[in-house]
Amino acid sequence: MISAAMAVARDGREVAVMSQTEIIGILLDFIGRPGATDAEFEALALRLFAYQFAHNAPYRRFAQQRGRTPLTVRRWRDIPAVPIKAFKDLTLSCCPPDDAERVFMTSGTTGSGRGRSYHPTLAVYDASMLTGFAARIMRGRDTIRMGILFPDEAALPNSSLAHYLALAKDRFGTEDSAVFVGPGGLDLDALLTFLAEAETSGEPAALLGATYAFVPVMDALTERGRRFALPAGSFLFDTGGFKGQSREIEPDAFYDGLSDAFGVPREACLNMYGMTELSTQFYDDGNAVCPPVKSGPHWIRSRVVDPLTGVDVPEGETGVLVHHDLAHFNSVSAILTEDAGVIAPGGFRLLGRVEGSASRGCSVAVAEFLAAAQG
Amino acid sequence: MSSVEQAGHLPGLPDEAIGRRIVEHRAWGETVAVALPSLSEDQARALCGHVRTRARETLRRMETARIVEAIDRASACLLDRAHPLRRKAETLLPVVTGYDRETVRLGLTSYLKTFRRPQLLRFLAEDFSNPGVLDGFQPAVKGGFVRARGPDLLLHVWAGNVPALPLWSLVAGLLVKAGTIGKLASAEPLTAGWFARLIGEADPELGECLAVTWWKGGEGGPEAVFLAQAECVMAYGGNDTLAALRAKVPVTTRFLPHGHRIGFAMIAREALNSRRAGPLARLAAHDIVRYEQQGCYAPQMLFVERGGPVAPDEFARHLAHELAALASRHPRRRLDPGEASSIAAWRSVHEMRALDGGAVLLGDPADPWSVVLLDPATGLSPSGLNRSVAVVAVDALSDVPALVAPHRAYLQSAGIAAAPATLFRLAEDLAAVGVTRISAIGRMTAPEAGWHHDGRFSLLDLVTMTEIEASAEAAAEGFAPYAD
Repeated sequence: MISAAMAVARDGREVAVMSQTEIIGILLDFIGRPGATDAEFEALALRLFAYQFAHNAPYRRFAQQRGRTPLTVRRWRDIPAVPIKAFKDLTLSCCPPDDAERVFMTSGTTGSGRGRSYHPTLAVYDASMLTGFAARIMRGRDTIRMGILFPDEAALPNSSLAHYLALAKDRFGTEDSAVFVGPGGLDLDALLTFLAEAETSGEPAALLGATYAFVPVMDALTERGRRFALPAGSFLFDTGGFKGQSREIEPDAFYDGLSDAFGVPREACLNMYGMTELSTQFYDDGNAVCPPVKSGPHWIRSRVVDPLTGVDVPEGETGVLVHHDLAHFNSVSAILTEDAGVIAPGGFRLLGRVEGSASRGCSVAVAEFLAAAQG
Repeated sequence: MSSVEQAGHLPGLPDEAIGRRIVEHRAWGETVAVALPSLSEDQARALCGHVRTRARETLRRMETARIVEAIDRASACLLDRAHPLRRKAETLLPVVTGYDRETVRLGLTSYLKTFRRPQLLRFLAEDFSNPGVLDGFQPAVKGGFVRARGPDLLLHVWAGNVPALPLWSLVAGLLVKAGTIGKLASAEPLTAGWFARLIGEADPELGECLAVTWWKGGEGGPEAVFLAQAECVMAYGGNDTLAALRAKVPVTTRFLPHGHRIGFAMIAREALNSRRAGPLARLAAHDIVRYEQQGCYAPQMLFVERGGPVAPDEFARHLAHELAALASRHPRRRLDPGEASSIAAWRSVHEMRALDGGAVLLGDPADPWSVVLLDPATGLSPSGLNRSVAVVAVDALSDVPALVAPHRAYLQSAGIAAAPATLFRLAEDLAAVGVTRISAIGRMTAPEAGWHHDGRFSLLDLVTMTEIEASAEAAAEGFAPYAD
């Protein structure tokens, strides 16, 4: 357990470093208290930076190299953001990694190794997820019948998405909710039965899963000439993109396809944007128009930066997204993603990945080189 | 915005029937709209048929000298700075590719110079001891006769934004009298079409045997038609692109892939005295700045030998200085977020390494260049491109082949500054680990005429030899009207 401490600046200024227990308490309170002001976000961000700087040695060195320490940084925007690639190369954890209750890992389809996020407790992650999900997906509804198109937590214990979907199903799913991806892959027959029941019952239902998991379902329905008309109030929830797990479909075609196959309007096709390197998720309000505006709750903020200098780009220009997630307290709160984005009223628009930009010529670029080096 | 530039060259297809896809390119505060041809499957089939037929009827019967003449004249037009197409190239290509005007101007001239008559003849002589085999049966040393024929239909799939790069393979195909269809690279969709049109002006019959078009990769339709109809496919791109293409090419079709490569340079201690180090750093900086390391021959790492009067760290500072100086004459274009991310990711890896003292980063992230000094030495790895480069301190250059050997599949060019004996000793070891081209520092991005791209024969790889064996010739004598 990490206890409280105090760092002293040369000028005698003191920066308090909270204990882990204090941090967790403050975060749970912050998450549960809507309407936090900018000043409150900033104050907590700075305290968390001091905590992470004190206890996360690789992050401390990273920050020092950039000349950013708790004694020099006064604004949350100046807290140095760690490139998500570093989650693969470095152990970014304030608590000893062995003390983590859970380690979430990236799927590791590209690059070297898998990025890891260490969670000494899931209390903050769960509170963040449940509060965000209630507000943006359930929107006042208590429960809904859920069909999950993703393996469960037992099958994928290191997947943050498996945990996320388990939380969703346990907290917001009705008794007859079910997971349709098992050891043998997608159980299409069971899913079709589920959909048919939902259709006749007149009760709203929801399908939630990885974006790529919807593709074979849509293909199977097309092949069988089957379409569903889910009752009003039903919604579809996808996340994560195609990741090479299915063929890629342009967003408009994808949501048209979903809407057509399940009889759910595109406004009720919700996409979640989350990452293993975060403890909080972003949502849109439907995909009637792509790309929609994404936004998160009050304990996460985003910037759009020039990835090289880390400086915010002028408003309206495309850059790379930096997320500052207070709930990701044990690792680092500020991460530099590999996602392109642009600030929009009420949030940002996600414009796809910028990772491994291939050369425009015939020079080999890092991504391809690494992929080959791993065989 | 100015008018829309029509890309491609499509003989035999009525212009008004051709679909177009308009793509806008922006750089240097300007916008250029390019209309890429977008053919239907039927049009693709018709184009293949037209090119193949015309090639059979005319190109096959042309003397190689006539083809050389037409290429020479087309190159002359693009070398003439007063020619309307050359002026257009100098205006549009900087906006389309993002390279600065000077780089485009110098690069065009440097490339096109290698497609003049003397260089083309050298190109032929490099692969054929007797280029006459392309025109008819020639006596073979072993006896009998031999003739070389290019494919009836050669398909080029170009990639990348280095201006005029597709001309290498386009010219190679024409020299072996292949009916030719090229697919434009989206990132530089203009030069190949212009060149094809100039060939058509120089020799209208030849222009009918050559088409330049575009399609969206991986979507079936016309792509499937072209891949099915071609007798030989020469493709450029990353391994994923090449693998996807190869999977679609019939097994009986010859597939010649040119994947992405990584270049590096080596500087021996004898080149590192106070008089030589500065100029050498300037030459290396030119290799790095020209085409922003997008070309496969550009250096991404410089191995610098310890023990000379100028130490590797000092050389790294010379290099940083020269890159900073070049940035004013050849400004780096504005990077898109993906490119900036690549440099940022590369820098951050070295930032982590610097925490342990194994790396020193020179320059600020906001500078339009990045140099990192790595000491102790590390194995070969790509930089973030766009003027980012690692200087690696090594005890001896003889250590370098082992540092690059694990990446054999990606090796191609090495620039070397060393005394003759060292040069040849290193060349042996580099050849053994897969390096196929060794040049002077400062010449890395300008391969000489007739070079063997990726160590292959540019022309010989395209042709099929037909041999009349001595037995057939001798037996024929028995059936001659004058036979006893």
